[in-house]
Amino acid sequence: MKLRILLADDHEIVRRGLRALLEKREGWEVCGEASDGREAVEKALQLKPDVVIVDIGMPNLNGLDTTRQLLQHDPHFKVIVLTITDSDQVIREALDAGARGFVLKSDAARDLVSAVEALQNKRMFFTPRVNDLVLAGFLEKGHAVSRNEAPKLPTLTAREREITQLLAEGNSSKEVACLLNLSTKTVETHRSNIMRKLSFHSIRDLVVYAIKNNLIQIEIPPQPPKTPTGPTAA
Amino acid sequence: MTIRILLVDDHPIVRQGLKTLLEGRSGWEVVGEAADGVEAVEKAKNLNPDVMVLDVTMPRMNGLEACRVLRRQSPQLEILFVTQHDSPQMMREAMEAGARGYVVKSNAARDLLAAVEAVSQHRVFTALNVRESAGLR
Repeated sequence: MKLRILLADDHEIVRRGLRALLEKREGWEVCGEASDGREAVEKALQLKPDVVIVDIGMPNLNGLDTTRQLLQHDPHFKVIVLTITDSDQVIREALDAGARGFVLKSDAARDLVSAVEALQNKRMFFTPRVNDLVLAGFLEKGHAVSRNEAPKLPTLTAREREITQLLAEGNSSKEVACLLNLSTKTVETHRSNIMRKLSFHSIRDLVVYAIKNNLIQIEIPPQPPKTPTGPTAA
Repeated sequence: MTIRILLVDDHPIVRQGLKTLLEGRSGWEVVGEAADGVEAVEKAKNLNPDVMVLDVTMPRMNGLEACRVLRRQSPQLEILFVTQHDSPQMMREAMEAGARGYVVKSNAARDLLAAVEAVSQHRVFTALNVRESAGLR
């Protein structure tokens, strides 16, 4: 029987690359693709794949919340998170969300097949950095990891995080309501609760919060070099 | 029409995606791949491709710097940026650095073939949404 994989990434060109990589393996099949988290949840429920590969930085619903929603629907889903960064915070959130695999996008060509194989064999797959962090936490009985953390902000519910991401992406309350099939009034109530819980007064605060907490990701343009460097023309 | 293409992006998985798309066109050949600007400059010299598909954000030497070097080193080479930066400022900078085309990565599957075709014929190709906000025609 074929191993069925669902791919979720907002860039079609990345999905093409992943598909080409995975379908080289005999017995593996990409059974579906999704371009955002919401679509990934819908398709996973419909297609029941053996493995779901989700990018963290997706619009509408990011990869971490997608993982949470998938496992809420069915704890048997096996999710591999693809990420551009393996910062401590992202690692912790991915583990917390229930991901069983964690692969850096830059290393996907090397690691993704091994990660899928691991999950297929009921094991987990993490980058060496994740292993180091987990080990450090274990050795210091869980205190080492949490000691250096910044003071925690009040926890948002899954729905509040979803709305925070959509607002931070520039959607109005009305647009959020439309996307989530809620009334505008309900969204505005959630919005007020979010602002009150986080003691925020502007949408700018919310955007900064969304970036810091990996609800949305931004691409930083390259900085010009301080001094002219690099090879010269031959 | 034969077009020889060099792919430059620091993510192998993106290069793989671009390659499957480009090699679907009969006569188009991906002659090489590079993971940063330094490697791109070297490979352009050795492989002499017609078109380079170039990312902006890369280690060692970014795409804009590589583009400026390549303009001097390989004046016949046409450069097409494929980047995550959906901004008019970045597009202006890319075109000023000497690129002939600019495509946003999220639209690459839609725009790439037309863009490579255009730049290989020495015509300008820029992403519509970015071009409009840049006030260009």
